[in-house]
Amino acid sequence: MKESYQNKMFDYLNKMGIENFVGVPDSTMKQFIAHGLKKKKILISTREEEAIGIAVGMALSNSNSLVFMQNAGFANSLSTIASLVQMYKIPLIFLIGWRGYIKNDAPEHEKIGKIQPELIKSLGLKSMIIDDGNWKKACQWALQQSKKSILCALIIKRETDE
Amino acid sequence: MNRKKAITVAVKKIKENHIIAANGYISRDLFSVGDKTSNFYMIGSMGLASSIGLGLAIKNPKKQIFVFDGDGNILMNLGSLTTIGTIKPKNLVHLIFDNGSHESTGGQPTCTKSINIAEIAKAVNIKVFQTADESQFEQILDKIKKISGPIMIVIKITNSKDVSSRVLWKPLEIKKRFMKTIVND
Repeated sequence: MKESYQNKMFDYLNKMGIENFVGVPDSTMKQFIAHGLKKKKILISTREEEAIGIAVGMALSNSNSLVFMQNAGFANSLSTIASLVQMYKIPLIFLIGWRGYIKNDAPEHEKIGKIQPELIKSLGLKSMIIDDGNWKKACQWALQQSKKSILCALIIKRETDE
Repeated sequence: MNRKKAITVAVKKIKENHIIAANGYISRDLFSVGDKTSNFYMIGSMGLASSIGLGLAIKNPKKQIFVFDGDGNILMNLGSLTTIGTIKPKNLVHLIFDNGSHESTGGQPTCTKSINIAEIAKAVNIKVFQTADESQFEQILDKIKKISGPIMIVIKITNSKDVSSRVLWKPLEIKKRFMKTIVND
């Protein structure tokens, strides 16, 4: 996703009521995070599950959060997603970087990248893949899910091997 | 002092304030001795009570937020202490009921018998109190009302055969009634 669109996406979500952006950085969404840091709206945690915990505390206070992470961190968090976020029906939006999407990504991302769609499906997690063309529509969809207290995920593909 | 006794002492002093309780026997004991709508029983997701507490503390700066944690629980999320020590929420009070064991799963040992969590917390800018004594624990709970956080109290407790019943509230009921207290007061 182009840098300028990542900036726009951050500003749009923030304007539409997402007050907190908590997570562990991923290069796929580097610009999104850099833009949020400039605006002092980003909280970086030590692990993805910790980020989810913090965001749940904020959601219990009626303050909406987005949790950003790489798919490696998403895989770390499966149990927390099931036994905390989904069990208590906490409305969060996840932003997940899809490493291992292209074949020549780094070898450590190959397996998780391959099984990611199945992991998402097994959890019953609603998701949309976002790109330069559909980001606004995808954000609107995610905000609607959030209003219905449904956890959902926006996925950004890693399309270069740089 | 066993955990149930220590939790009984704590809830008397904490009164109506908000409590996030870790999974296992800690939630069960709190439910048994001091159930109230401003308790959030985290019945799964072991390790995350301190993080949920941090999120609440950030968003509710005028309310004192208490976390009831265990040694096994905090050891699973030690990184959260570095985040708490960096953000420094003045209103967060983190109680660790430390029995040096995973009592809920059969009493298997944790490493707090040889490693002191209080020293780890001190190193990350958290104000720490430690006790194994009931009246001293009461004094600490009075004292922290006038101190700004982040605060940790490590309470060394003994194991006991007295097991409380499971939390009878369903997850969605726990959330709903807890959120009402956050919004309304």
